[in-house]
Amino acid sequence: MVFFRACMALFLTLPCWCSAQTASGCDLVLSGTVMDEHDHTPLAFAEVSVPALGRGTVTDEQGRFRLEGLCAGSLVVRVDHLGCEPIERRIEVREERAIELFLEHHTEELRELEVVRERPDEHVGQAHDALDKHAMERSSGKTLAEMLATIPGVNTLNSGPTISKPVIHGLSGNRILTLNQGVRQEDQQWGTEHAPNLDPFSSDRITVVKGAASVQYGSDALGGVIITEPVELPREAEISGEVRGIGMWNGRGGGGNALLQGGVQGMRGLGWRVQGSGRYLGDSEAPDYVLSNTGVREGGASAAVGYRDHRWNATAYYSWFTRELGILRASHIGNLTDLNNAIESGTPWYVADFTYDIEAPRQDVEHHLVKAEAGYAISERDRIVLTYGYQADDRQEYDIRRGGRSGTPAIDLFLTTHTADAVLKHWIGKHIHGKVGVSGVYQENINVPGTGIRPLIPNYRKQSGGVFLLEHFPISPKVEMEAGVRVEATQLDVAKYTFDDVLITPQHDFTNSAFTLGANWSVKDSLRLRFNVGTAYRPPHVSELYSEGLHHGAAAIERGDAQLTSERSLKGTIDLEALWFGGRLRTDVTLYANSIADYIYLRPDGVELTIRGAFPVFQYVATDAFLYGLDATLQAKLTKRFSLRNRTSLVRGRDLSQSEWLFQMPSDRMENALLFELPQAGAWRAVEVSAASQIVFTQSRVPVDLDYSDPPGTYHLLGLSASASRTLGKGELRIGLQANNLLNTTYRDYMDRFRYYADARGTDLTFWIRYSFGKHT
Amino acid sequence: MTTNLRYMTMALFAAAAITGCKRDEEDTLVPPPPANEEEVITTMILTFDGQAGAADKELRFTDADGDGGGVPVFELDTLQAASNYNVSIILLNETVSPIDTISNEVLEEGVDHQFFFQPTDANITFAYSDADANGNPIGLQTTMASGTASVGSLKVTLRHEPDKTAAGVASGDITNAAGETDIEVTFPVVIE
Repeated sequence: MVFFRACMALFLTLPCWCSAQTASGCDLVLSGTVMDEHDHTPLAFAEVSVPALGRGTVTDEQGRFRLEGLCAGSLVVRVDHLGCEPIERRIEVREERAIELFLEHHTEELRELEVVRERPDEHVGQAHDALDKHAMERSSGKTLAEMLATIPGVNTLNSGPTISKPVIHGLSGNRILTLNQGVRQEDQQWGTEHAPNLDPFSSDRITVVKGAASVQYGSDALGGVIITEPVELPREAEISGEVRGIGMWNGRGGGGNALLQGGVQGMRGLGWRVQGSGRYLGDSEAPDYVLSNTGVREGGASAAVGYRDHRWNATAYYSWFTRELGILRASHIGNLTDLNNAIESGTPWYVADFTYDIEAPRQDVEHHLVKAEAGYAISERDRIVLTYGYQADDRQEYDIRRGGRSGTPAIDLFLTTHTADAVLKHWIGKHIHGKVGVSGVYQENINVPGTGIRPLIPNYRKQSGGVFLLEHFPISPKVEMEAGVRVEATQLDVAKYTFDDVLITPQHDFTNSAFTLGANWSVKDSLRLRFNVGTAYRPPHVSELYSEGLHHGAAAIERGDAQLTSERSLKGTIDLEALWFGGRLRTDVTLYANSIADYIYLRPDGVELTIRGAFPVFQYVATDAFLYGLDATLQAKLTKRFSLRNRTSLVRGRDLSQSEWLFQMPSDRMENALLFELPQAGAWRAVEVSAASQIVFTQSRVPVDLDYSDPPGTYHLLGLSASASRTLGKGELRIGLQANNLLNTTYRDYMDRFRYYADARGTDLTFWIRYSFGKHT
Repeated sequence: MTTNLRYMTMALFAAAAITGCKRDEEDTLVPPPPANEEEVITTMILTFDGQAGAADKELRFTDADGDGGGVPVFELDTLQAASNYNVSIILLNETVSPIDTISNEVLEEGVDHQFFFQPTDANITFAYSDADANGNPIGLQTTMASGTASVGSLKVTLRHEPDKTAAGVASGDITNAAGETDIEVTFPVVIE
């Protein structure tokens, strides 16, 4: 039934001595032992928590733990141990007598118990971090990239306040991969002003893998992979759900989302889930002025239905996402003179009163995903899984145009992608297990006629097919290894008109391979090491091959090179998790180095005269790049209630053939936070308060004479966050308050492409309130 | 072990069957022939209508294929010293047939546009002789007076959405004009 038992080195026995006295209902005790699954030795320093209550404890030398003062009802208990994927178990505490629950062996007999989520370690040796739904909730109202940026090693690349793209270990766009519900997200990530088109609340857990991972996921996974994980559907009839409202001060708007899920009476195993969300914001405000034309409207909805029993599982999923956003009016410039004027004046040339209206320049995007998945257990331990995904990405970009044409899109792209995967999860003998699979992608990108402008990127068709093999094998009780290979071939057909209106239809073929080798080594209970060396590849995007013309937003003429070859990355990561002083200090340090052959970037290549004046010309060229850096999280428990946390990210990027720094690498940053938690305060539970100070240093490592202005200076921001829950009726109410840039500091960030034109956002207050009911939320 | 192999083979075939069904039509990919690019400005002509016996002159900038592609071409007359000219600006899109006169669009949207004239080392001065709906200058029509013989350049700028009420803008000073640049051409100028 459970296929990856060997990599879950955790085992939980929960003798639950529930006290007979249930008058108040909140004086029950949960205690138990956490053991290694293989040899049943007790595991010290495992964190046992009830996330919904914000309660937790750490196991002692004998692996024992004890949680007191729990209320009767249904609880999700989570166990984290260094280097292991956390496991979650739902425990129904209804009986008033002492019962013993042995989770692993008696699941069929005990209906009180349900395995909430099996999360086998799929990333052996890879440094990875995850945002669970509580962490996502703390970032309510933010974009996906902003949510992820709370993870060390993850930054954002912004185009003003409305557009942010995630950056993992210095790489972004087509150099990182997003896996949405198990399907490669295909939504025009080549553009620096194209944010990912997905709703973070369509999932309840987002994992970031910070290594080269082309073996498992295919091309583009050079910097890492963002995985919005599919939600497990309920199996029983009871309906549960949640509704959340969000109010935001800066932008004078808000949002919300709602979720409803359940099963079908008399059809155990059949479950469904519907979800929707939206955001509506007007202009953002910097400390000294309105950032005109930075409103956003966003909407999303998804529906899933699935069935599973001990042999079969099948899921159908559909999601829709739409976003309309304004692009800072003052960032719209005509030529280099305007850009220099903007930099010299230091204030945006266009500032109007606050408005909710969105005018050109603006973007209008819509993304649809249909997924169908079926799995069948062909034997006790082997399982075959077929997945098909269809995506349609519809993008219109409106520019300020003469002659009343601002209502006609300047860019109108329709991208359709079919993906199909077949994976066999299997065991070979007693110890080796893994997966073997094939995957195929068929993609068409069409410029919808009618823009009256020569297309920025040509029409193309991309077909690729790959096979992969990934095996896990223990080489000792303390060391688990992973090794894998993939081969993939890609064919790209392009159709475009040259400047002389001659149709050309070039074809490109790329064949790539990747390997991965990783290990999880449990040196001791308080020290875990993850080690991975892997490769990844990325065929050049059609924009890098065939761009030819003026890029208005960048005040530059960009020229592609049809001779470019695939980028090939070799990345090594070492991740060290350790506990010190009896678990009072926790450290998690990731070191990485990434060598990328044929790294494609824009290099200055003279100037060209146009009727708008002289523009610098940038040519897409390949170089050899080397990126390295460090992410660290240190968390110290000062007292029972107070902790201190430090998160640090350092990235360095070198252009080896030019002996030069790479452009647009995140600068050094550090966040220090004081965290306070209180399990109970009157009727309120799980009270969390934190104060955080973030310092972002100036980027001193920049290529000479490439940028139009010097990088902005070091800045320091203060933030506050508070949240608490209470019982309301049959459900739970949780409220939270978040304050960013509390001191209304004026600053500009190096990773904001609009830093030439305007300051970043000022103080931002967000208030959210969530009500959830039913046992699955 | 052998059963595993059999299943793997099955999986491979199943997936190959799924990914194998691809259409083979070329027509969806090939775009229709490029439509007229209506907003392109290929040509800027400054016509100098000589007053009091001065000969008519012309300065012309042509970038036949628009931004990028081929190199632009200048066709230049020598201007006469100590003379007065009525100057008109004509903007053309010569990529379309019939040729589109873009300066008419500028005239229609006169309140949102203004030309600026910045000579360097050339002894010439400009004064606006047209007005938009609000009574502010556009610059499609100007008068120019030349001084002594000199060699220099003339930068002609067209701003979109300038602040025409800002200090100096109505008299031709670009410093406070803001807005974004639609045209910026620097003509070599010889005055004899």
